[in-house]
Amino acid sequence: MTAPQQLETTGESEEDKGSLAVQVSGLTKVYAGGTKAVDDVSFDVKEGEIFGLLGPNGAGKTTTIKMITTISRPTAGAIRVFGVDALSTPEKVRRMLGFVPQAISVDGDLTGYENLLIFAKLFYVDREQRDKRIHEALGLFGLAERANDLVKHYSGGMMRRLEIAQALVNRPKLLFLDEPSIGLDPYSRLQVIDHIKQLNRNFGTTIMLTTHDMSEADELCDRLAIMSMGRIATSGAPKELKRSVGGDVLTVAATGRLPDSIPSNLGTVASSSQGTMKILTVDGERAIPRITEYLEGEGAVVESVSLSRPTLDDVFMKYAEGSLQQDGTYKDARSARRSATRHGR
Amino acid sequence: MSSLQRSVSSAFTIAEMEARKLRHDSTELWMRTVQPALWLLIFGEVFNAIRGLAPGGFTYIQYIAPGVLAQSVLFIAIFYGITIVWERDVGLLTKLLSTPSPRISVVVGKALAAGVRGIFQGIMIFALALIIGVNLRFDPLDIAGVLLVSVLFAMCFASLSMTLASFLKTRDRMMGIGQVITMPLFFASNAIYPISLMPAWLQTISVYNPLSYVVDAMRAMLLTGDYSGVPVDIVVLLAFTTAFILSSSVLLKRLIE
Repeated sequence: MTAPQQLETTGESEEDKGSLAVQVSGLTKVYAGGTKAVDDVSFDVKEGEIFGLLGPNGAGKTTTIKMITTISRPTAGAIRVFGVDALSTPEKVRRMLGFVPQAISVDGDLTGYENLLIFAKLFYVDREQRDKRIHEALGLFGLAERANDLVKHYSGGMMRRLEIAQALVNRPKLLFLDEPSIGLDPYSRLQVIDHIKQLNRNFGTTIMLTTHDMSEADELCDRLAIMSMGRIATSGAPKELKRSVGGDVLTVAATGRLPDSIPSNLGTVASSSQGTMKILTVDGERAIPRITEYLEGEGAVVESVSLSRPTLDDVFMKYAEGSLQQDGTYKDARSARRSATRHGR
Repeated sequence: MSSLQRSVSSAFTIAEMEARKLRHDSTELWMRTVQPALWLLIFGEVFNAIRGLAPGGFTYIQYIAPGVLAQSVLFIAIFYGITIVWERDVGLLTKLLSTPSPRISVVVGKALAAGVRGIFQGIMIFALALIIGVNLRFDPLDIAGVLLVSVLFAMCFASLSMTLASFLKTRDRMMGIGQVITMPLFFASNAIYPISLMPAWLQTISVYNPLSYVVDAMRAMLLTGDYSGVPVDIVVLLAFTTAFILSSSVLLKRLIE
């Protein structure tokens, strides 16, 4: 299965490819046991966008990210990060990356400042710039006051923020977030989402993330791909994907005479019985007043209109269905739980 | 920076990370001194009564002090594989390897951290020896030499342990292998009795046991002052250490695949 945007790029010139943050083609990973975790996956991530990789547990999202971050070597396929070949020059690629893994992986036995310091050093950030960047990152993520506390005394949300701060000390051009909001309470989750948006807007950081949370993906991602059983099942902007699974549904409750049909430019009647009418339409919010006006003109008295639109959940269910029979592995459940409860080591 | 400079700087950063953790909480280090203290105070004291067990006219406590130091360093180092499996489990290892720092720096850094703990053990044994009145050569150069050998030895077995971790992959198995390895190494060495007292087959094994070379070097510097065997000891130890560091760096990726 080839993602649509892969087709779009084939005719483009070399200069246009410079604006691509990630180009993945024919990516395949077969584990020693013969399990095909990723199966001939191709997609592009444009510079400056937030790209989501969605899919059920075991769909191959994390394996894909591991290969792009050069942690794991693909069995076949090619990866370019800002035009640099990730397979032949992995260290060059790693210098451009920031990576926040799924489990909370800041070191609880160090202070927040130390966690950032060590990573700045491992990324060879210049000594003169190091402290400035660390304090900037700590400030940006609201951790300046707790910088010298041991991280094991931080809350889960603070640990997550520290992790993202840590991934920023080397000013990555491309930031990977593997399940950034897993195990967070709604408030911390919102904060993290807000920070991700800010990074993208203020620094132009290209962001690639995986998530199970469809509303989060909808809110954050410019484009996304849904993986299922090691393949890309579908990809596109959230809006397009939602449209692809069906339009908006208006449910009208009315007394008086309801017509059997409505003009096709307003929508189509899906069902109508005992004063309740379901209408399929596009752009439901704008259609409400026009449909109401039409129905009242036909002699009905409209009492209420409710709008329901397809969500990414519907998209997800449609494309990921095949692999939902298989439950997530024990390891997934364990790492999710651990990252939610871990305090230090 | 050249790539060598980068590698060295990253290794020291990894070691710094561990040293900073020890500074925040050194409880483990102190608990680690209990066992060698028991060996010296109880085992050493009891066997001291048997004359002639130690060669060269030394008392038995004097004789086993270098062996007890080597053993305590061995016990610290051999569990470094558990640390690396733990860091793999919590995602820290993946993150370390996603930095531009080379893999060998991660291994050498961890091994150096084991060395830092080894130095602490060395200092504690010296302190203990002073307190209970064990007569050792407290010459500054000898002390420095002993600490250096402790660091090398800790690096050797920490990297062996990390090599094993890339095959065994779980903390439980690493606990098991730690037990399986340490006691035979200890008994098949000159740590608590001279090799000449061993049956012939055990003597053969002890020749291939790195611990014997470590104890030999430490004993030369702490007791006898006869350095004739030390160059060979150091060369053997360096060879083992280099081999284990290289194997661990190459195999480390098995942990995160």
